[in-house]
Amino acid sequence: MFKTASIAGVSLAVIFSVAVPANAQLLTHKDLSVATATTIAMTAIETCKAQGYNVSANVLGREGQVVVAIRNPAAGFATYENSMKKAYTARATRAPSGKFADAVKGNPNAAQFFLSNYVAAQGALPIMVGEDTIGAIGISGAPGGDKDEVCAKAGIDKVAAQLR
Amino acid sequence: MKKIAIIAGIALIGAIAGSANAQLVAHKDLSVTTAVAIAQTAVQTCKAQGYNVSAHVLGRAGEVLVAMRGDDTGPQTYENSFKKAWTSRAQRAPSLNFANAVKMNPTVGAIHLSNMVPAQGGLPIMVGEDAIGAVGICGAPGGDKDEACAKAGIDKVASDLK
Repeated sequence: MFKTASIAGVSLAVIFSVAVPANAQLLTHKDLSVATATTIAMTAIETCKAQGYNVSANVLGREGQVVVAIRNPAAGFATYENSMKKAYTARATRAPSGKFADAVKGNPNAAQFFLSNYVAAQGALPIMVGEDTIGAIGISGAPGGDKDEVCAKAGIDKVAAQLR
Repeated sequence: MKKIAIIAGIALIGAIAGSANAQLVAHKDLSVTTAVAIAQTAVQTCKAQGYNVSAHVLGRAGEVLVAMRGDDTGPQTYENSFKKAWTSRAQRAPSLNFANAVKMNPTVGAIHLSNMVPAQGGLPIMVGEDAIGAVGICGAPGGDKDEACAKAGIDKVASDLK
């Protein structure tokens, strides 16, 4: 009985040491507000519009969740989905989606393609605070992913002062 | 015989395709600018009142034009704002109407559709008698407060809705 109790005590001690190591504080995150996210998305849409391109935009947060999604009825209907997937790819890889597109060129069986939301297309950028990826913006609709990406960058640049 | 059949076929197609009321359907629809203005005004109006809310603006076919996840809102607000908007668009009426209908009849047929929700906070976006979309808001402590913000969003663009 005593032995059982002491084993229990040891178990408890082990659990305790696992559960409360010195670095077990809560995580501190900075995340996009809906206002900032909307500014990013609309700046991107308006930048593309000024260049003659109708585009849709998705701004995703840290977990790939939609913070702002904007369908441009003047753009093709697939742009809504594609802008989300580009953003998802950029968030997941913490890099421009064009980089992923380059990396999987000639490899149609890249493991990522077995996930639902990866797309090998330029036009999305991660939204960074220092080294931390807090989200991503994806654009689709311009005639070329490079042009989509320029608008995505304009959106991020607009709020650069807030991203810290 | 074959010739007769072809002629008859052509005549039939002509009769169907060329009836007096078979013109294309003319629609007015929300632009991206108008839809974003509605959603953003609604979110900001609620924010100014101390409520964080999510917003959805849907178009004529119930398609998402704008989705906004409010700051510090629960994940259900994102879904529910969509469903309130969908309910409003489907019934061309405030989602409150459906909430009241369900109170009277909990087994009303429409409750079994995926996107109907008996909750206040959604309003149709009308051009005259035509429901061109809807806005749904969720997150304020009470559907009446959600609806007030939805209305502020529509009012903001009232002059464009014609």
